[in-house]
Amino acid sequence: MSNLRNVAVVGFAQAPIVTRDLHRTSQDMLYPQVRRALDECGVSRDDIDYQVAGSSDYIDGRPFGFVMALDVMGSWPPRQDLHVEMDAAFAAYYAWLRMQAGDCDTAIVCGYGKSSEGDLDRVLNLQLDPFYFGAIGLDPVATSALQASAFMEHSKKSDHDFAAIAARNRAAGVRNPDALLREVADPEVLSESEWVTGPLRRGYMSPYGETAVCLVLAAEGKAEAMCDRPAWIHGLDQRIEMQNIGARNLATSAGAQLATQKALAMAGLTAVKDCDFVELSATNPAEEMILCQAMDIDPEEERPVINPSGGPMCGNPIMMTGLIRLGEVFRQLSGRAGDHAVAGAQRGLAHAASGHCLQQNLVFVCGSERRWT
Amino acid sequence: MKRPVAVVGVGQTHHSARRADVSIAGLVREAVDRALLDAGLEHKDIDAIVIGKAPDQLEGVMQPEQYLAGALGAHMKPLLRVHTAGSVGASTALAAVTHVASGLFERVLTVAFEKQSEGNAMWALSPSLPFTPPLVAGAGGFFAPYCRAYIAKTGAPPHIGPMIAVNARENAMRNQYAHLREPVTLEEVTESFMLWEPIRYLETCPSSDGAVAMVLASEEAAKQGPRKPAWVKAGYSYAEAMWVPGRDQVSPRAGRDCVKHVYETAGITDPWNQIDTAEIYVPFSWFEAMWLENLGFCEEGEGWKVVDRGDQKFGRHLPINPSGGVMCTNPIGASGMLRLGETALQVMGRAGEHQVEGCKTALGHAYGGGAQYFAIWIVGDEM
Repeated sequence: MSNLRNVAVVGFAQAPIVTRDLHRTSQDMLYPQVRRALDECGVSRDDIDYQVAGSSDYIDGRPFGFVMALDVMGSWPPRQDLHVEMDAAFAAYYAWLRMQAGDCDTAIVCGYGKSSEGDLDRVLNLQLDPFYFGAIGLDPVATSALQASAFMEHSKKSDHDFAAIAARNRAAGVRNPDALLREVADPEVLSESEWVTGPLRRGYMSPYGETAVCLVLAAEGKAEAMCDRPAWIHGLDQRIEMQNIGARNLATSAGAQLATQKALAMAGLTAVKDCDFVELSATNPAEEMILCQAMDIDPEEERPVINPSGGPMCGNPIMMTGLIRLGEVFRQLSGRAGDHAVAGAQRGLAHAASGHCLQQNLVFVCGSERRWT
Repeated sequence: MKRPVAVVGVGQTHHSARRADVSIAGLVREAVDRALLDAGLEHKDIDAIVIGKAPDQLEGVMQPEQYLAGALGAHMKPLLRVHTAGSVGASTALAAVTHVASGLFERVLTVAFEKQSEGNAMWALSPSLPFTPPLVAGAGGFFAPYCRAYIAKTGAPPHIGPMIAVNARENAMRNQYAHLREPVTLEEVTESFMLWEPIRYLETCPSSDGAVAMVLASEEAAKQGPRKPAWVKAGYSYAEAMWVPGRDQVSPRAGRDCVKHVYETAGITDPWNQIDTAEIYVPFSWFEAMWLENLGFCEEGEGWKVVDRGDQKFGRHLPINPSGGVMCTNPIGASGMLRLGETALQVMGRAGEHQVEGCKTALGHAYGGGAQYFAIWIVGDEM
């Protein structure tokens, strides 16, 4: 492991999450963020060695939607490029690997997708095994509810606990100008909101939204000139589990647990409590508690602070939710988090997920100092 | 690359218009099992999986790698899903190369597939472009004007496309896995009906079900394998914007830049003489002549003359697509990786009946989008 390179997040630009941008295509939304991220780093597009993006054709409602993004990513002259059909956090993961392979020193990582173009719950039904799960009409609401039930049964947590977690996230979201939901919510009110699918209430759900994001990565030697306070990547790991929700123990996340342990080991840490904050792709309170359990986080402790940005429960732009978590870690560690800054933050964890019931989990551990000398 | 990477196993399915005998998972598993068997490995030996396919609309399953995780043996492992349009099979394999080159993974399984019989490829390959009425004419409708532009630019005579089609079918006769294994005559091709001027019915690729997998390994892991590996000399993926004024769609700059980078890294200065065979992405006949130029195998405007002389035929100077290529087998998402896998088999000396004699260096190529994405590698028999 000691022959790994220090790589940092040096720039991040995100448009505020909205339910539906009536006036702009996803490319129109992305272009200003690419410009902002590069301007923030004080570089031109030609200074960047590599580009990688994450998006989904089904979200776009057409095949090859990502091809259109090539233009606004500045793909002229031609660029070294890759596109992953995943949350853009996985694109950042790949860009990091590419830097480890010595194939590039700088990269832009883009995420985009207009989820308002379709009925997202119906679209995400198409992720499921087409024979046994998709065909019976399960959607993310239903599978999340199954997971939340399994977790309640396992943990003896209550509706009251769910409401408290949702309210805490909502209170944090008020301080984040990019959040979609920016209104304080009383836990009592949330716990009286209508059932969506038991045990999940309307007030516990993540509102789908759309935005566009561009994150800039740079290796040591380049990073310093591009950012006054880079967020150095200390460790990362990702794991997928089989999809079959009947065969997995939905009350736990073995994948998140293993990914966290591996990322911590790479970072030279033993526990997540060594981080000042975590940004989790938890789309409802049960997911947050499952992830905390998998990561051995005690929510009663002062540190780590959980989702200081308000997290996905204040805005869930599919295919970007994970990359925004990494962007938030950068904001915190680089002193750019504004009103939602965690005082004295030196180390943070970003988590991205993919698929139903936390099927795939990706963890980044970042710090304000370099990892390797 | 920080460290050498080798191909230690290749497996592919038998391809056909409709593999009704297997589900999507069964199809993928057939290729994975064959690749692992070829490498003398089991699922437990694999550190990560990199999978690619073309638009999810082709099968109607969104991000199908999630549903396929079990069949891929990916449970509790890292998995990356790539999609770069038609080039995806090749760019996926190159992403797997990066995984090994990074030093974090010793053995990576890479897989690409398409089960086109699950859906309607013509619809799924008809993207809606801004300010452009939807033609729903598929990839052929999109690329035919590029071929017409090539003919207009070079003055190539009309029999070149049909010659390429005939040769592809001849080659596929020597490939037991190919989808179309029926020879055709020049007369049959030129008499087949016109689909998209100048592309006739027998000058277009089929719509196939198929999958391919490879195991990539570090030097140390490769040397533990039962067979002689193929070594990756260089590999890059490039893309270019669509709406650039003056963009050359016939010989795209992304292709030229990509192959230049590959040649420089691999130490190739005279591709026509230093490369023993190439598997290149030819979905419609004329593209073979076009890519011969774009890849620097000949001067601009000379590609059709290479074909006219037959120098790219099996047993001649530079055999192109000895497997029969995309013209005879096209499970879109897998087609790029099939090109790369075939080149690995060639330098390993295990391509069977279509083995190019004495093959030491081979080039694999795929393209996609509106001729915007290019993924190219060179493999050799020595590290």
